[in-house]
Formats: sequence, structure tokens, C-alpha cells
Amino acid sequence: MTRTLGFIIGFFVLVFWLTAKPAFADSPRLIIGVIYVGSFNDYGYNKSFHDALAQVAKDLPGVTVIEAENVAESSDAERVMEGMIQQGAKLIFPTSFGHKDFARKVAKRHRDVFFEHPGDGDTESNFGVFFGSTQTAWYPMGVAAGKMTKSNKLGFVIGMPIGYALGNVNAFELGAKSVNPKAQTVVVVTGGWSDKAKEAGAANALLDQGCDVVAMHVDSPATIIQTVEARGGMSIGFQSLEARALAPTGWVTGLGFTWTPFFMDVAKSVIAGRFQGQAVYQGLGQMVAIAPFGPAVPAEVQKLVTNAANRVMKGFTPFTGPLTDNTGSLALPPGATINNAQMGNFDWYVDGVIGKVR
Amino acid sequence: MTTPLALGVLGGAILSGTSLLYATLGETIVERSGIVNLGLEGILLIGASVGFSTAAATGNAWFGVMAAAMAGGLANVLFGWLVVTRRANQLASGLAMMFFGFGISALVGAPYVGAVIVGLPKWRPSWLGGLPWVQSTTLFDYDALTWLAVPVAILVWWALFWTRWGLAVRAVGERPGAVFASGRNPSVLQYQALSSGGLLGGLAGAHLSLSLTKTWAEYMTAGRGFIAIALVIFSKWHPLRAIAGALLFGGAEALQLQLQARGSAVSPFLLDMTPYLLTLLVLLAWGGSRRLVAPASLGRTFYGSDG
Repeated sequence: MTRTLGFIIGFFVLVFWLTAKPAFADSPRLIIGVIYVGSFNDYGYNKSFHDALAQVAKDLPGVTVIEAENVAESSDAERVMEGMIQQGAKLIFPTSFGHKDFARKVAKRHRDVFFEHPGDGDTESNFGVFFGSTQTAWYPMGVAAGKMTKSNKLGFVIGMPIGYALGNVNAFELGAKSVNPKAQTVVVVTGGWSDKAKEAGAANALLDQGCDVVAMHVDSPATIIQTVEARGGMSIGFQSLEARALAPTGWVTGLGFTWTPFFMDVAKSVIAGRFQGQAVYQGLGQMVAIAPFGPAVPAEVQKLVTNAANRVMKGFTPFTGPLTDNTGSLALPPGATINNAQMGNFDWYVDGVIGKVR
Repeated sequence: MTTPLALGVLGGAILSGTSLLYATLGETIVERSGIVNLGLEGILLIGASVGFSTAAATGNAWFGVMAAAMAGGLANVLFGWLVVTRRANQLASGLAMMFFGFGISALVGAPYVGAVIVGLPKWRPSWLGGLPWVQSTTLFDYDALTWLAVPVAILVWWALFWTRWGLAVRAVGERPGAVFASGRNPSVLQYQALSSGGLLGGLAGAHLSLSLTKTWAEYMTAGRGFIAIALVIFSKWHPLRAIAGALLFGGAEALQLQLQARGSAVSPFLLDMTPYLLTLLVLLAWGGSRRLVAPASLGRTFYGSDG
């Protein structure tokens, strides 16, 4: 037993030794600490934060970023953030939704350290919340898919049927229907945000059942895009704009997060000593961007998508009543709309979506 | 073009059943020698991670397959050192191996998360591809690991039941004392069973990361190692029955995805439970007769050879 214990301790010592960072030679103006729940090379959610902060560090002189990957949504997160503060971090991004409670605890202990959390909840003088509102941005994605499909069946793989994911699906179907009344969206739920084998199975099932364009809302789009590409289907990416590298022929377009301008503002405000904990939710054109089109997308489709995107940026929302759900009952009365703060509340699919919420 | 449900489910069952079958075969050999390896999940992860990292680093998926098999075998030899040489408790060591697998696979795979690899090449005989319906499905479009899965099961069956070595391995699982008395070394046989079983476990992981998903993500096996352990019981420690078991369990997962893709009105949560529900039912059904078919010394430590 002692021997096993010895091995375990030795293993962790080795890990820490391998990951330890040398002390900083000259003190920078701002050290930003970032914790990720997974790895930042995931072609998805984590990469979007990593890339944005790397850009901030490059563009703002004297800014250094220290990062910790695979930080569990447990008290581990607290420990890692405390360690970053000891290393001099004054601005911390706990990037996973589940890091929230631990970040709030650390924020209460260190009033001079500022936090920005992608999520919701109360703001405090040193704790801001933000997120990209993706739902309305899915509308132009639907336009692209509705125009590109030949079978009029679009596939959508989601990890879990949470309100935000349903909102993405609904806007996608509404966009597709706006250019192709016959377009239907078939939803497959895998039951987890990162079950790769099931994602491959889900993509295969959708292709088997005649879907020719597949979109997804899971942590990393890599498996689904590659599976679809290998079988000659088309895909619409999500989370990171770089995902198009995985589908040289079947890529249509995609959505990614562009946090850089917002992070730049936050970093500058911390340096200038005027940080304010705010709730910032921005949609297409600010925190969300459309990826470049794939080679198969004709110019007139690109134009339609760009026009739809411009309308969304000017304030158009696809969630304007009357809307019926896919069981035939009225889900949104005439004239009513759903705003960005209510996107998490969806518990219905719009007419045209094939799927069941619960 | 829509595919008939049965073909879609069969296609999905074969794809996700491949790794289940390799893992089940590996565990069957190990359990036949009297050892329970609850760390199978960790072995799969090590195989998936080492295979993917090697393929990403060398650009050749076959090197990945070989490295995964070797890593799986080595991990099981380490496990053997714990439970055979050091005579540690098998269940506790197995769980420790599982967590070791989580950690080491994450460490090895970390630099390669998001790497793009050329997966194992797929090959579909043209006369099969021309059959009606087949063209639009995944059927018969397989990599070597999937094509070889059933032949390997037959090979394992032959090795266990038709060779002297297999007889000795099974005898260790039943009565190691008798094997010892007959002049064979039970520990050596258990090491042989463990290393070949680990090799197959590594291949199972390699199929997940190098062919099915072409990605590495932490804990991507998502419980398949445990399903394989249940499958060993389901197939009553028999390699040929494991083929049916792997297809059935792979099919349960495929069925729920295909039903959703066909717009079935069944709740996704309910469908999601089917593989696990099946596991429970199987354990219930076989539970009563388990002692009759399980190797008699399964899970017991043999102290005899030192006297």
C-alpha cells in the first residue's frame, strides 16, 4: 500500500514538475489568469478563449497570460485560481460555466482581483459576467443550410436539450424555412457535451436517414465535422472559427466566438483601474462571428446569408410571434418576442424541427 | 435517401461494437485466467490516447495502432505485477489502474488534443458497395480493425479452447493449484493472459480514437470499458458469444441514435438508457447462474507457488 501511495505521489510530483512555469523575470503590467475545464486545443469552446486572450497579450504591451487546462469544476478550481493570484494575476477568466461558484468564492476573498465569467448571475464590483448570444446568429446558418440542402433534411446534433441549445436549433430551422419552406431539422441528442463515439454515431445516423447538412452544439465540433466530411456530407460548425480546417470540401459556414474586442476592453479597464463588474451579452457582429464560406457555397447563397446576418445585427430577431411549436400548439403569441436574456428558457421546438424535448 | 431502420442500426452496431468486441475479448482472456481487471476503462483510454498521439506525431495511423496495442499490453503487465507478483487485491488494484489510466492518458494526449490525423484507411469491396441501400450507409465500409474483429474473436476462441496454452490458462482460472501441481507456472500463464488481453484492450481504444472519431478527448471512452466487463458476463466468458453481445450492445446505442434521426416520438432520455437497461437486465438474467459459468478462482489470489 505504501508503495502504491509512493507511486501516486511520485506521479503527481512528476506532473507538477512537468507543468511548472518559471518565475517571471520582469513584472508585467497585467497578468491574466485563465482556467479551462478541458484542453484549449479542442477546436471548440476552449480554443475560442485561448485564441482571444493570446491576441490580447500580443496587442497590449505588458500583458501576460497564464493558463491552466483541465481544471475540474470542483474546489480544485479555487486552488488553481488562488495559485494564479499568488503569481500576480489581477484578472481571471474562469471559462467554464461550472467554475462559477468557485470563482465567486475566490472573488469574495480577493477584492483587488477582477473576474469575468461566461455565464449569468449577479455582478459584483470585481465580478463581471458575459456571453455571446448565439441563438439569433443561428438564423443565417439556417439560411445557408436551407439553400445548400438537396434532401430538405438538415441534421442537428446537440449534447443536451438545454434551453440555449434548443434556441440555437429553433433559430436554425426558422432561418432554413425562410428560404426553403420544405426544410426540416432533425435533432439528435447524444446525452453529453463530449461523448465522441456517440457524436460519430449521431452524425452517421443523421446521414443514414437522409440529412445532407449537419450542424452541432457540442463542446468540440471536430468528431462530427470529420465524420460528415468522410461520408461526403456538408457541415456547419460551431464554437471556433478554425473548425473549417477539418472539412476542406463539405464545409458550408459556421459560427465562432470572437471575444478579443471585449477582452481587450476588460484588460484595459483593469490596467486603468476602472474595472466595473457588468453583465455583457453581445450577439452576432460583436462576440459571435460567421466563419468564412466553404468552396461549395455559391455566391448567391453567400449573399443571402450575409444579408440575413446583417438583418440580425440590425436587431432583427427570428423569435417573433406568432410561432407554433412542433406539436402544433401556439408557443409565442403574435407580436411577442424573446430577448437575449430569455434564451435559456426554451422548452419547445419550433414547427419544422423533428425531435422531442423530454 | 432514407435508409431502412434495420440497416442503419446494423451499421451503427458494427461501428460502435468493434471496440466493445476487442475490449470484451481482452477481458475474457484475462478473466479466464482468474483475474478481474476493473481497470479495463483505463486500458481503453491508454490505448486511445497513445494510439492517437503516435498517429498524430508520426502521421501514420498504423504506428498508432501498434503503439496502442503495446501500451495496452504494458499497462496490463503493470497490473499483473500488482495482482500476480505483489498479490494485491484485484478489485482495488483494478480501480487504481482505471484512475491511473485517466491520468496518464490525459497527460499523454494533452499536446495532441485538436490534432488532425489521417485515420485508418477504409475499404469496401466494390461488389458489396453496389448492393441496393448499402451505398448510402456505413455498411461494409470498414477499416482493418473492424474487418478483423470477428476473425480475432475466432482466433481467441481457438487459442482458449483448442490449444494446450488455452487449456492451461483456463485451468489457472479454475484451480491454479492443479496447474502448479502439473508443473506449469500459474503466474507466467496469468502474465501471458494479461498481456494479450491488454493488447486487445489497446486495440479497442485505438479503434475509438483512430477510426471512429479521429479525435482524442479526455475520458472519451465514456464507460465503454465497464460495458465490456458486463459483456464478458453476458457472453458467459465465451469469445464467440461476445460477438453477439458486442453487436447487441452496439446496436442498443445505434438504435437510440437512429430512432432520434428518424424522428421517433420516444424521449431521448429514455432511449439513452437502453444500453444500460440492457446491462441491468442481462446481469439480472444471468445473475442466478453466474457461479456455474464463471471461472472458479476468478478474483482469488493464488498463494500456492511459494508454498
